[in-house]
Formats: sequence, structure tokens, C-alpha cells
Amino acid sequence: MTTEATQEHPFSHGGRFFDVLGLAAKNAGLSVLTLTLYRFWARTAMRRRLWSRVTVLGDPLEYTGTAWELFRGFLISLPCFFLPAIFVFYVAPLVMDPVLAIWLGLGFYLVAIPLIAAARYWMRRYQLSRTRWRGIRMGLAGSAGAFALASFGWTVLQSVSLGWYTPVARMNRAKMMWENTRFGDQPFEFIDDGESPQKGLWWPFALGWFAFPIAYIGSTLVVLAVVAALSGGGFQVPGADGDADPTAVLGFVAGVVGLTLLLVLLCWAPYNAAAMNRIASLITLDGARFRLKAKTFSLFWVQLAGWVITILSLTLLAPLAGFLQVRYVINRLEIVGTPKFAEIGQSIVEGPRAGESLGDAFDLDLGVGVI
Amino acid sequence: MIQGRYADGRAAITHDAECDIGPDAITFRVRDAQHIWPYGDLRRADDGAGLIVLKRRPDTGERLMLDADAKDTLRAAAPSLFRPRAFGVEPPSVVGGLIAGAWSLAAVFLVGVPLAAAPIADIIPPRYREQIADISWSQVEALTEFCDDSDEASRVLNDLAYRMMTAANVEGRDDIWVIIVDAPIPNAFALPDNSIVVTDDLIALADHPDELTGVIAHEIAHIERNHVLKNIIRSVGAGIFFDIVFGGAGAGQAVAIASVNLASLSYSRDDETDADMRGLEYLDAAGIDTGGLARLFDRLAEQYEGEEASDFPSLFSTHPATSARAEVARQRSRAGLAPSMNAADWRIVQSSCGMDPAAGTESEETPKPPEQEGVAKP
Ligand SMILES: [Zn+2]
Repeated sequence: MTTEATQEHPFSHGGRFFDVLGLAAKNAGLSVLTLTLYRFWARTAMRRRLWSRVTVLGDPLEYTGTAWELFRGFLISLPCFFLPAIFVFYVAPLVMDPVLAIWLGLGFYLVAIPLIAAARYWMRRYQLSRTRWRGIRMGLAGSAGAFALASFGWTVLQSVSLGWYTPVARMNRAKMMWENTRFGDQPFEFIDDGESPQKGLWWPFALGWFAFPIAYIGSTLVVLAVVAALSGGGFQVPGADGDADPTAVLGFVAGVVGLTLLLVLLCWAPYNAAAMNRIASLITLDGARFRLKAKTFSLFWVQLAGWVITILSLTLLAPLAGFLQVRYVINRLEIVGTPKFAEIGQSIVEGPRAGESLGDAFDLDLGVGVI
Repeated sequence: MIQGRYADGRAAITHDAECDIGPDAITFRVRDAQHIWPYGDLRRADDGAGLIVLKRRPDTGERLMLDADAKDTLRAAAPSLFRPRAFGVEPPSVVGGLIAGAWSLAAVFLVGVPLAAAPIADIIPPRYREQIADISWSQVEALTEFCDDSDEASRVLNDLAYRMMTAANVEGRDDIWVIIVDAPIPNAFALPDNSIVVTDDLIALADHPDELTGVIAHEIAHIERNHVLKNIIRSVGAGIFFDIVFGGAGAGQAVAIASVNLASLSYSRDDETDADMRGLEYLDAAGIDTGGLARLFDRLAEQYEGEEASDFPSLFSTHPATSARAEVARQRSRAGLAPSMNAADWRIVQSSCGMDPAAGTESEETPKPPEQEGVAKP
């Protein structure tokens, strides 16, 4: 029996950008050729690649899910979700009383919103049940319905508080997810360290909350100033006939919008980094604690790169964005203490037989799950 | 003898294993127990980039990890463990099947449904036809106003339409009805319940009764050929296809909903040509000069030249009054025919919706066309 050597980097992600890019490009090509039906195989191949490059204490993670499971999940969701959807959105407006059809559509959305939260839970359950380390399976216990219901309540509180409930909701969701997460027969715990779970989150959150109005007002003023200058004739392009070139104006507006988004992303980075670090610090497994060292600027660059890749590739290379973020987290994650692995046995709960069904419908994770 | 590590699938630890790579199986000892794993039962749990991890099939949770150094020896003994299949990569037949399946689905919904649209449209019961028309009507009501004073004018237009339909022996002509509405857009369009809506601005735009009659004939042809329902069926088929294949709720939904929306009701090029030809046949049969329609097309091509992409869909923005279309109508033109309406009737039509025939425009201030998806295409 080997002993767990205390390692400098217990977690590491050996994924390389161009290697992942190659796989993402192949997946994108085949997805186009198959009118997106290849997506289940693409997703599986990408997860297998990304999981296997994560090593924990020197041993790799393993993704054991298959594309057929995902496909089966999709086929199951077809009658449960898509056929009703097709009826509600295509048939009802044509053959039913118009007012009744509109109410039916609204009712459908009302059911679909909590269903999205449940789908997120099912998806995580599926992914964890297909994740192994040293042959031991992970898992997610608990009820998706309870999560959906609670999540719906938190969403309502978030909206009535104009967003200020968000840090609490985020920690609540993390707590519910992690307390139900298992490695083998060992549950993770989300501990109470004697301080508020939102400790250190409020100031960064306030920065993010005010970033949008400030950036929006600022950019609007800039646009107005430029438009005034152009229409007032105070701005003359040499050689031009004096009319404002519409493409130039459009370009300028696009530039301002882009800059605003950049600024907003930057202002949210401290909160995101703080929340991730705080969540990691509250997770324990068999007495071992975790520490994440996410930093504002490095996280900002990773997120920015992800956005740029996703937008420029028209979402075809979105898994690359997921990869960058997962690698970022894994490489900055540390473990404090060592769980007694010899006493952690195999999970006795079987995972779901079919894949993420509705997760696919709502495209919840852009093809890469984050553990 | 190769040094490996073994996880038994029961606890999250590994044990040292002394491995022997034989011709048919890998044999290894962990403490005192000996394990024999035939290659045929094995799969890879790694991705081929470093550590070699073997698992059994079906998966027992057991793992045998070998250093990358063992690769050459293992490959020599069990080449199958280095093929894509061992890593769980799908065989090319799966990819081929998916491509074939996806394009067959596309063929069914994007080619088959449009081809079957005509027979499907013919068997849609009147009850559903009315219901579909109700949606169109609710939009007509939202975007236009009915003209209280146009009973006489619509009687004139209906008599004229009936005259053409009788001459050309149009089936179901008793169900086809022309209605005049007040709208800021020159247009005419057919609805699923066999109504033809003509806007007052189209009447104002016509210099001669034959011009208006030509447009009405074209719309009657759309109804006779069931183009309206065919078009809706095509769009719904495409919408369902996009939803099924892309798996998103709503991707194709927009397409289908829009198809029932008047603003995006556009016919295929074939349907347009069909309606053009059939419309000219009505005019011929009723002894009406097709030159009127040619003049209307010509004038509009001139007027609207370079003005494609206007804010609202008018008869001409979506129905390009190409010179080719005008030419077809001109070639069939016959001189010396009486106008399709007599002077008194034409005056009645021109006076509908509070218009002043002398001014040639509406007597009330014509509002600027709003920037909305206005009333439909013809
Ligand atoms: Zn037409």
C-alpha cells in the first residue's frame, strides 16, 4: 500500500491549450456536418479529455460517461419536454382559442423555469456519477425537486432585492450542492466556520453591482457627446462630404459597448474570485479542507479569453472557455490535510442510467461540466 | 517484471503490483493475491497521454496503473489496447450514421414537408383554417382600421373579382371575399380564410382601375392555389425540425410563430410566379387588359428603385416589381379592351376610406408609416 506523500501541488491540470483546441475544432466540424447531432459525442470526448488531464495526488480523474447515455437522455426528454413544447408553441396557437393558447404558453414557461434548476441538478448528478478517481465513483445525493424549489425561491429573493440577495443565494446553492456531493461513500461537507458564509463578499459584490449603471451611464454620455459633435458639424472627416459616416458611428458605438462590457466584467471579477475562494474554504472531505487562490486579474483574463473565444467562434469553441476556467481553478486549488483514503469505500448508490436530457435542452454548461 | 499500482475498486487507495505482460493477459501480484486480466476484457481508463490506466469490462471499479515506460511492451503484446476503440472513441460508422440521419431528418422536414404542403393544406379542416385565419385577422385589426364607408366600394371590387373568377372558372369562388382597410401602406394580401385585404393606399396609388384589378387577380391566384396554408405548413415543418435537431426549445419556434405572422408571410418564388401567371389568366379570361399591371410594376420599379429594405413591408419591398414581371404582363397586353371598372365604379372605389378621388390621395393627413412590421406582403 502506498502512502499519500504530502505534495506541493495535490491538484494539477495538465491540459494544453492547443491540444484542447484541436479536439474542440474536430468536434465543431463534425457537429456542423451532423447538423449538431454529434454534440453528444463531442461533449463526451471533450469531458474524457479534460477529466483525464486533471490529476489529484498524482492519479488522474476519469470520465466514464458515454455518448449513447447522453443520446438516450435526449431521446427521453423528447417526449417529456419537446413534444409538449411543440404542442404548446406550434399546434395550440393554430387550433386553440388564441387567448387560451397564450395562457398555455405562459404556463409552460412557469413550469420550465424551475425545471431548469432541476435540470442543472440532474446534470451534475450524471456528471459526478461518471467521474472516478482510483476507480472510486463520485455522486450527488439529494432531490433535484428540492433544489429546484429552493433555487426558485432564492431567484425570487434575488429579483425583489434588486440583486442584493445574490451572494447569499450563491452560497446557499453551493452549500446544497456540496453537502449532497459524495466521493465514494464519503460525503463532502459545507462547514460553518463561525463566520458568515458571505464573509468578504459584500464589498466586491457592491463594486460589481454599481459597475453596470456607472459603465452604462458613462458610455451613454460618451456616445451622446460624439453624436452631438458629428451632427453639429464640429467633427469633419477630411475629404468627406460632412455627413456622418453611418459605419463609423456604428463602429464607435460597438467600441463603446465592448468597452462597457469589458469594464463590467472587470468589476465583477473581484466578487467572482472572492466567492469561489470562500466556497472552496468551506468544503471539507473527511476532515481535509480546501483552499483556492483565485485572484481578480488572473480570473478576469481567463474569463475574458473565454468570452472572446466563444463569441469569435460563434460558440462552436465554447468548451475551450470551460477548459480555461476549470484549469484555472484546478491549478490554484490546494488541500489542507489528507482524507483517510483507505477508509473511503466505493459508492453504493448507482448513478442515473441515461444522461442529462434536459441539461441539453437548455444547453446549461456549453459542453463542459465544472466539478 | 513491471512495477504498477492497483486500485481494487473498494477503497480509494492504490497497492503496489508486480506485473507481467504476457502474450494473452497481464498477470500481476498484489501482496499475496494473483490477478490475471486477459487483454480481450480490458479497456483504457486514461487518454493515452501519460500514465496507462487499465480497467475491466464490464467495469468492476478496479484499476491497474502502469508507467508510460511500459507502453512499448504493452503495445507489442496487446495492440488492441492502443486503438481508438479501447479509449471509448466512437467508430467511423457512428459518425457516418449520424451524418446520414441528420440529413435525412433535414430532407423530411425541409424538403418532404414543403413537397407535401399542398396535399396537407388541402385536407386541413375548415374549422382549423378559420382558427389560423383568426390569428391573421387579429393582426389586421391591430395594424389597420376598417372603413365604415366602403361597403359600396367593396361591393364593386367583389363583383369584379367574381366576374374574373367565373370567367376563369375558379373553384370555391363563392368563399373568396375582398375587404378594404385603412392602412398607411400600399399593399394587398390573402388570408387563410380566403379573404383578400386591400389597403386604401394601394387604391390611391393606382392610376387606372386595371392596375388595382391586376393585383387583386394575383391575390385570388394565391388563394386558389392554396399558397397561404402551404406557406404556413412549410414554416411549421422547418420550425419543428430546428427544435428537434438543435434540441433547444425556441430556436425553431420563432420561425413557426413568425409564419403565422402577417409581416413575414412571404411566398416562395415559385408560388409568386405561379400566382402571376394564374392572375394574368383571370384577366385574359375576363377580357381585362394586363397592361395595367405592367404599368403598375414599371412605375413602382422606378419609384422604389434603390429603396429595397424599407422600414415597412409594402407590396413592392417584398414583392420586387421587377422589369421581368412587368414584361410578362406587357406581352399579354391587348389593346382596345374596356377598363375593368366603369368611371362611376372607379370613383366609388377611389372614394372609400374617406379618400378624395380628385386629389388622388387621402383627404385626411396621411400619417408617416410607423416603424413596425406592418401589414403583410401580397
Ligand atoms: Zn404574391
